[in-house]
Amino acid sequence: MYRIRFHGRGGQGMKTASRILGSAFFLEGFEVQDAPRYGAERRGAPIFAYVRAARAAINERGIISRPDLVVVADDTLVPVPASGVLSGIGARTVLLINTTQNTSAWQQRLNISGPVITLPASAEVEDRADLPYIGATCAGAAARLVGVIARDTLAGAIRTELSALGAGVIDRNLENALQAYDIMQAHSGLVREGSMTSAIKYAHPDWADLPFDTARISAPTVFATANSVEVRTGLWRTLRPVVDYSRCNHCWWVCSTFCPDGAIAVDTDGKPVIDYDHCKGCMICVAQCPPHAIEAVSEEQAQRDTTTGETP
Amino acid sequence: MTGTKASIRRMKDLPSTHLLGTGTPMCAGCGGLQALHEIYDILGEKTVFVNAAGCMTLLSVYPFTPFRGSWLYTAMASSPAGAQGIRDALDILRERGELPAEEDLQVVVLTGDGAAYGMGLSATSGAMERDLDFIYICYDNEGYGNTGQQYSGATPHAAKTATSRGAHGFAGYKKDLFSIWAAHRPAYVGTVIGAEPLDLAHKIETVKQLRGPRMIIALAPCPTGWDYDPGESVNIGRLAVRTGIWPLKEYIDGKVVHTRIPRGRLPVEEYLKTQGRFAHLFAPQRDDALLAELQARVDAYWDGVTS
Repeated sequence: MYRIRFHGRGGQGMKTASRILGSAFFLEGFEVQDAPRYGAERRGAPIFAYVRAARAAINERGIISRPDLVVVADDTLVPVPASGVLSGIGARTVLLINTTQNTSAWQQRLNISGPVITLPASAEVEDRADLPYIGATCAGAAARLVGVIARDTLAGAIRTELSALGAGVIDRNLENALQAYDIMQAHSGLVREGSMTSAIKYAHPDWADLPFDTARISAPTVFATANSVEVRTGLWRTLRPVVDYSRCNHCWWVCSTFCPDGAIAVDTDGKPVIDYDHCKGCMICVAQCPPHAIEAVSEEQAQRDTTTGETP
Repeated sequence: MTGTKASIRRMKDLPSTHLLGTGTPMCAGCGGLQALHEIYDILGEKTVFVNAAGCMTLLSVYPFTPFRGSWLYTAMASSPAGAQGIRDALDILRERGELPAEEDLQVVVLTGDGAAYGMGLSATSGAMERDLDFIYICYDNEGYGNTGQQYSGATPHAAKTATSRGAHGFAGYKKDLFSIWAAHRPAYVGTVIGAEPLDLAHKIETVKQLRGPRMIIALAPCPTGWDYDPGESVNIGRLAVRTGIWPLKEYIDGKVVHTRIPRGRLPVEEYLKTQGRFAHLFAPQRDDALLAELQARVDAYWDGVTS
């Protein structure tokens, strides 16, 4: 059975990628499961989608913890723990990553022995949530890496899955996916099927056994106030709003009120201060700032600038 | 308006500290979260929220909560019943002298339009019938947003949803929940939008001083479900008001009063063209007949408005 895990950000089309690949497997006669992980499918947030494909009935369910192929549409997710890109990667797992850096840089950085295949990152875009056609591109590359999906089958799956989007969109997706399929020619069949799991040999994860408690103890009750601040939603951000204080009018009631997340605080001088640990990068403040003192900059660039600007 | 003294007169008077915690899983640019944080800043910490299943159920996912007080999760149809139980419990504590008046809490129901316009309507009707002392906030993003924007009773005519994919979008019409609620003659019904924070603040200040069923519908621009760039949420919310699509009004003391009558109303297409869910009205060719129908409906509404 093939076990394939897709990683991307909300908006990059990972759910669609898994559906395209799933349909392509299906058209080749496989039993298929394809599903995104439900719960956090927000723009910019880490997204997971899973495909299982086998010649026999698939009895496994749920998330894929031991993947044969991991597809990473956005390399900025790799260092984000919540995205779990490296989870369960073994020596035979193929890592396909959309990046501008080369294979050996990733092998060294991640200290992994398995094969790393790079997809030449599509043209740099300011907002990575808008990476064009990256979902179809990833599906196309993955289809070639498994080596059991014909080019025409891939095209048919794309036409089926994107049928609601109109001919223009389908054509551009087809072009990108087939190009990725062709680029991966040298690696065709690199991903090999993992063995089917046996219920008898099942080893449970390293979990802790809990005694049965009454509802008063065991119910999921939160005894804290506003502790959601522990969740760093700032990692969803693909664009960063930056205040130019030389132009800021200190009309904090605009940006601070409109920020849906309450991530713009007001200091004692009436200066708005953006909380980058939680700002999701919606850019409402940029759109509403009366003197246009807030600018949207690429998050990736901003992080690079911060890293290089800091003295160690 | 009412004779209550408003402490918030200008934008400058809006709260500069925010009570709702950051770090929630709501989408970037969520118009519902924007309205909720504005409302919560004015309602304050002495509140207990009863949340029907919907996007905002995710506000408090164990072990995290953005609220400073209690929050109870109920099934989709039964939040007003949950609110009744909490109100009764608080009243019993008050009667027994175990809860001083200054520690009493406002019970606030929080639901999406799926629950408010649809499966929760019966329980809401019952709560108003019993004159339950509570506040009901509906964040209305005009579809079942948390599951991928299937149509709801709040979906506007012609909008594309996950379950209305035809050439003309949703065939039904948005239910007039304001009038349905007002027909129960509760203490208060009001419409708000996060993009008009001053109007919202005035209404929430009014609501705070009333007793009985106090019902709020907040139109919640939804980048994910309506298909537009998240940064546009406030612009689109303002357009909803300025085109007359979303009338800001309140029902109080038995009368409906419009709190904002848009002068020189903009054509509705200025609002519609900002959203992917209405894109089929403009391309591949302009659907003049449908656009004219949508405009005529809004015009007819405002023709009937005298105050």
